[in-house]
Amino acid sequence: MVSPAIALAFLPLVLTLIIRYRHYFVLFYRAVLVRIWKDCATGLSREERVYQYVLTHSTPGDPDSILEAFDFWCSKVEYISNIGPKKGKILDRLLMEQSPLTVLELGSHCGYSTIRIARALPLGARLYSIEMDQRNAAIAEKIIRLAGFDDDTVELIVKPSDEVIPQMRSNYGLERLDFVFMDHWKKCYLPDLQLLEECGLLGKGSMILADNVLFPGAPKFLRYLRKCGLYEWKIHRATLEYSRGIRDGMAELVYQGIK
Amino acid sequence: MNKNILTAGDKDFLEESENEHKKKKRDSTREKRRRRNGRRKRSSSSAEGEKELKERSDYKDRGRRKSLKNEKRPKRSERDEGNWGQTMHKTPKKKKSMNTKTRKINNNEEEEAKERMKKKHGRAKSDEKKENKDKAKEKTQEPKKKKHKKVVESSSEQETSEEEDDKETNDDDEVRPECLSPEELEKLKEAVEEKKKLIQSLKGKPWPMKKKLVTLRESQEFVEKYEGALGKGKGRKLYAYKVMMTKKWVKFQRDFENFKTACIPWEMKIKEIESHFGSSVASYFIFLRWMYGINMILFGLTFGLVMVPEALMGRPYGSIPRKTVPRAEEASAMDFAVLWDFKGYAQYSVLFYGFYNNQRAVGWLKFRMPLSYFLVGVGTVAYSYMVVIRTMARNANESGIGDDNSFNFSWKMFTSWDYLIGNPETADNKKDYFLFLLRIKEAILEEQESRKDDNIHLTRFLRVLANFLVLCCLAGSGYLIYFVVRRSQKFTLEGLENHTWWERNEVNMVMSLLGMFCPMLFDVISTLENYHPRVALQWQLGRIFALFLGNLYTFIIALMDEINLKRKEETIVKFNITTWETSLYNSSMSGNVTAPPVTIHPADVPRGPCWETMVGQEFVRLIISDTMTTYITLLIGDFLRAVLVRFLNYCWCWDLEAGFPSYSEFDVSGNVLGLIFNQGMIWMGSFYAPCLPALNVLRLHVSMYLQCWAVMCCNVPQERVFKASGSNNFYMAMLLVILFLSTLPAIYTIVTIPPSFDCGPFSGKNRMFDVIQETLESDFPAWFSKVFSYASNPGLVLPFILLMVLAIYYLQSTSKSYKEANVELKKKLQMQNEENKKKNKQAALKAQMDLEEARKAATQAAEHRRNNNASFQSQEVKVEENHGRNDRNHNGRYGCSSAGGSASQPSVRGPISRCYSNRGNSQYLPGLSQQTNPRIYRTPSLQSH
Repeated sequence: MVSPAIALAFLPLVLTLIIRYRHYFVLFYRAVLVRIWKDCATGLSREERVYQYVLTHSTPGDPDSILEAFDFWCSKVEYISNIGPKKGKILDRLLMEQSPLTVLELGSHCGYSTIRIARALPLGARLYSIEMDQRNAAIAEKIIRLAGFDDDTVELIVKPSDEVIPQMRSNYGLERLDFVFMDHWKKCYLPDLQLLEECGLLGKGSMILADNVLFPGAPKFLRYLRKCGLYEWKIHRATLEYSRGIRDGMAELVYQGIK
Repeated sequence: MNKNILTAGDKDFLEESENEHKKKKRDSTREKRRRRNGRRKRSSSSAEGEKELKERSDYKDRGRRKSLKNEKRPKRSERDEGNWGQTMHKTPKKKKSMNTKTRKINNNEEEEAKERMKKKHGRAKSDEKKENKDKAKEKTQEPKKKKHKKVVESSSEQETSEEEDDKETNDDDEVRPECLSPEELEKLKEAVEEKKKLIQSLKGKPWPMKKKLVTLRESQEFVEKYEGALGKGKGRKLYAYKVMMTKKWVKFQRDFENFKTACIPWEMKIKEIESHFGSSVASYFIFLRWMYGINMILFGLTFGLVMVPEALMGRPYGSIPRKTVPRAEEASAMDFAVLWDFKGYAQYSVLFYGFYNNQRAVGWLKFRMPLSYFLVGVGTVAYSYMVVIRTMARNANESGIGDDNSFNFSWKMFTSWDYLIGNPETADNKKDYFLFLLRIKEAILEEQESRKDDNIHLTRFLRVLANFLVLCCLAGSGYLIYFVVRRSQKFTLEGLENHTWWERNEVNMVMSLLGMFCPMLFDVISTLENYHPRVALQWQLGRIFALFLGNLYTFIIALMDEINLKRKEETIVKFNITTWETSLYNSSMSGNVTAPPVTIHPADVPRGPCWETMVGQEFVRLIISDTMTTYITLLIGDFLRAVLVRFLNYCWCWDLEAGFPSYSEFDVSGNVLGLIFNQGMIWMGSFYAPCLPALNVLRLHVSMYLQCWAVMCCNVPQERVFKASGSNNFYMAMLLVILFLSTLPAIYTIVTIPPSFDCGPFSGKNRMFDVIQETLESDFPAWFSKVFSYASNPGLVLPFILLMVLAIYYLQSTSKSYKEANVELKKKLQMQNEENKKKNKQAALKAQMDLEEARKAATQAAEHRRNNNASFQSQEVKVEENHGRNDRNHNGRYGCSSAGGSASQPSVRGPISRCYSNRGNSQYLPGLSQQTNPRIYRTPSLQSH
């Protein structure tokens, strides 16, 4: 039997681990434990809950109030990994600078980032938003319409991204994408980027913004960026949405083409 | 120093250019002369009495001519070589005043200059070449016995153009050396020489690597094939032999160099690690190696002078009670668990203090065992002090040159890159280092700004809180150790057999675990304080140091308690033994008187608790458990973690490698501190357990390999950059403190506590150091002890100590004054530099003004200029010739003027001013009057271009 003194000697280790990784523990609690608990308690999925909240706490047709409601719910009530207000500002700024006409969004989830992008677009621009999950897409659709964006501005495509991208040219008559926002599965970042390159949807000056490249992280994506030399890129360092201690970053890529 | 180098470089540059100009001129003159006089008069060029480089080039010329023409005078080549040797000697003499670095640069520059000269020669030589060929045809008639000599001489030939070389190799590739006419032989010889030259100069050629390799192989084959075939008869054999020997010699030298590198233990390993992780991690391994060396010597001392003599010449095991396992323990004495605790047979062996006998002299050598034991104990500590202090002094010398704050930024700029790094990932981190510097700057700014805010109270509060927490932690760990040691004493009193392994090894386990985990906690706490990283690191090191020291001293205090307990036990045992002996005596007396005296087996004799052995055992156990914990943490914390991260990353929802668990970094400071404290324990315990140095050598050896492997296989380069060279002495200072602190308790126990009565080399004595007195009395002549007693008289010792203190004071004050003088000199140098700069500026301004004046004059008198053109040019040529014959100083000016003159662009301002600045650097305090001279005749000439 291990004596209590030896067990006591492990106390500093335990304390260290708890203090050092407290943000991760908090995140785990909020994103996993609370979610499971609420799922069981209410019988609704997380996305449905957030939709209910947004529906009751925001003015329809006003994207800002919808985004505010989202932010409040995600930071105070439960946790959903949207892009969040801080990184959202970076996104807004880039969109303002770029003022793209055709925008592709990979992974719309609940529609938070879709609204955010659509809000910042110039007149006559078109946003294609791809979501794989049927239920999420239904909620995203409702929220987007709630925010007052019609079919001409935002088009939601419910398909996996690797199926949609090769068909973009033929089905949607797209020649070139000005702006691509990636926020879907982190493992799909690299294959989708390569797919975009292969289909020739990227022209010189096209901007690609990839969220969460540091946490949860897309190392292969970053490695590829370092090597390939097709892009001018930098990482905007920030913290993970709705939490302060976890470092995260967004990768901003500008396609340069083959020199 | 920087300035020195610069000026030296400038000088060299000037020399170089000057030489080039000289050469050009000389070539031209020579060609003229050749045209006039044919080839017989060329020896006159050597009579010109010029500088060394010229001589050298002449020598080359002469060598060439000689090899072709003057073969009948072999002595001349020797003389020439002597000449060359002299010139070679001359060069360093001139620059004696410069330090070694500049000298090195000089040599390089000179070599470059030589190279350049060779190329310059090329043209002149190609002319010569033609002549040579004619000559060679004539020479076919010459007797063959001189061939050998020629071959030797031709090795001094300089290189010729490459095209020829290629041609010739093509020619000679098919020929058989046996059936060659002398002419062809000649050609072959030349070709071989060419190939040799090519091999030598291949490194510097601007070719792709593939081509280089191919050429190298081809030419090597060629040389191999034909070299031996040259020459005939005796000469040929001798030559072949000579060539073979030189080759072997070169190869041997190379092998010897490799061997020397291989002889430095782990050199290659450390280099490899350095290339991957930078110098900071490598510094840990170098420190480890250094420690290993010291422990080797300690081990040699204890093993050779204490353990081996006792084992070989002392009484064997089982002869006396202290060398026998007691009857009660005999049954389990060979169990592994018992041996692992260093009990049973391990306790009653040479490994521990208790085994040694107090016999004054052992064996046929009359080896004084107790004296040797004592002296080795003192000697190891004295040696360690000496080595540590010497190393510190040497390091201080090294750092004393570099550390001055005057060029801080340039130092950082030009020397902060670690050029030994060969791993891209580390390089990335180091690149971050520059960012890191910037970030530090930002952080400083931020901190300054934040201090202006009202945040200062919060910061102060947090810092106090952090220190309070750390103190709590320290106190807690100290109390835990004290508690555990007391508990273990209770266990020993109750009998260890009733307790589990965990309980028996509690002390060591707890100490190791605390030593491992508390630093982590400190690290976390220190984030509260918001210190500058460097300050934070110092705090961290200080705290870990305090923790280790506290743990160690708690342990020692608890050990002292135990020693006192044992001594109480000892008095009881002593009493018991006397009663036992008397009872034995009585029983034997009461029995038959004529019966032989009772022989009791030594295992049955009651004996006292040998506290010295107990102390030794504790330390050995501590070392063992410490080693085990280190290795286990290495395996679990590094290896297992790396394996998990590596292979779970394929199926995990976030990036394990870059994100949360990641790979571990190599913790340099923690490891070094661990090593230092380990060494402290060795110093403390080695008097009571002579096996400790041996154990430590083993430990260090294993950990060298294990850590090398672990670092290479499962660590990533650390992000926090730790300057290795600066911290070295810091570690040494720590080592010194630890050495002092660890010798304190050892000396205390030796001086104050009487040794056990029935074990160890000092048994029966009142104090351990009585052995010296005893030796003095019995082994030395009477007068010596008398002298010694006089010498140890306080009346003599006190003045001596006073004298020593005075000497130390004197030395310190002189060193201080030297330091001041150094600072003064540095200031002076800076002042001079600034003055020079000012003067240069003035000179440049004046030159500019003059130039403008001249321009005005030129514009005013446009017609005059055209008329003057021719006359000025001729003047210039004349001047050049004059200067060419004159001194180096003038040549410098000449070089300048020609550089200015050759720049035919209309904007003349640049070259002129640059020229002057060069001159200003090369020669101290250039007078203005000197400068006016060349300018007067140059400005119009420039205008005329």
